[in-house]
Amino acid sequence: MDVEVDGILVAAHELKAPLAVLRQLALSFDEMNDTNEHIRSEMVSVSERAIKQVNDLIKVRRLEDGLFEMEPVAVRAVCDAVTRELNYLFKGERKGLFVRYSNRVKLVTANRDLLYSVVYNFLLNAIHYSSAETRAELVVKDYHGMVQVKIRDYGPALPIDVWREMKRGFVRKPTSIAMRPGSSGLGLFIASRFSRYMHAEVGAVRHRDGTSFYINLPISKQMSMFDYDFYN
Amino acid sequence: MIFIIEDDKVMAECIMRACLGYDVRVFSNAIEAMGEISNNIIPELIFLDIMLDGPDGFTFLNELVSYTDTANIPIVIVSSLDFDNVDLSIYGVVGVLNKDTMVPEDIKRYAKEYCGK
Repeated sequence: MDVEVDGILVAAHELKAPLAVLRQLALSFDEMNDTNEHIRSEMVSVSERAIKQVNDLIKVRRLEDGLFEMEPVAVRAVCDAVTRELNYLFKGERKGLFVRYSNRVKLVTANRDLLYSVVYNFLLNAIHYSSAETRAELVVKDYHGMVQVKIRDYGPALPIDVWREMKRGFVRKPTSIAMRPGSSGLGLFIASRFSRYMHAEVGAVRHRDGTSFYINLPISKQMSMFDYDFYN
Repeated sequence: MIFIIEDDKVMAECIMRACLGYDVRVFSNAIEAMGEISNNIIPELIFLDIMLDGPDGFTFLNELVSYTDTANIPIVIVSSLDFDNVDLSIYGVVGVLNKDTMVPEDIKRYAKEYCGK
């Protein structure tokens, strides 16, 4: 096994148990007055997000075993599920989320859990780095025979070295992102590993006022004859 | 009576809090719990962690199903391990709770269902 990935796996297991306990503790507070309720909510929310990232790290290890099946996945349904889950966080941070679906092809070849994690990590990144009172954007569209999921934030631009790694389509390891304080680049590392597994293209576009992260997913040819509009 | 077999004291306390109003006994390992059962104290429900110090949860489950008087004790597994698509009913497992996502109401629901309050 890759030594780096092995180390991550050990760290992930070490981190997971106390996080689960922290979450349970917060949930166990029987009596909380209105003043303290937000502290409990924050504890639960922070630990849930951390648990999710730790679980993603464990999945990185499992990628080597090829345990994640590729199947036709309805990309809008995945994006809807992620935005529903993170909606409370956008509200809490008083940031907006603009969602637009213009893709005609509905099904892509992917693993639902991995795709969910990629979109989740990109959106979490967007919440974290969008400046106050701005919005993040999630756009799904057809793109050169693929389906592109793009998440745009309005915050500090992505450092050039991380952008280069994203451009190559593979972030080798989590690295500290100085211009984006508080980040280990873990989300990008996870997203790039999962994307590679799914034979999807991952990348980033630097803007003067923020960054767009995208994943281009192969269309599911197998199901194309059944491709109808699930949503209308 | 409810048995909680969990080596993390804080997690055990969280489960115990959710079982408020029930007769609860907490054990930090499977050997202690098995010792109590050997003394003819048969619980109505067991919340069982899998990754325990000493014999793990599955060793405990195998032990339980091998005796007629303990084979039918309802067991709820409380673990961070992933048991999706794993059939544990042969061990008398009536439910699996993931520590990452469970809420106190999940514990209360099982306590109410099997211990009747």
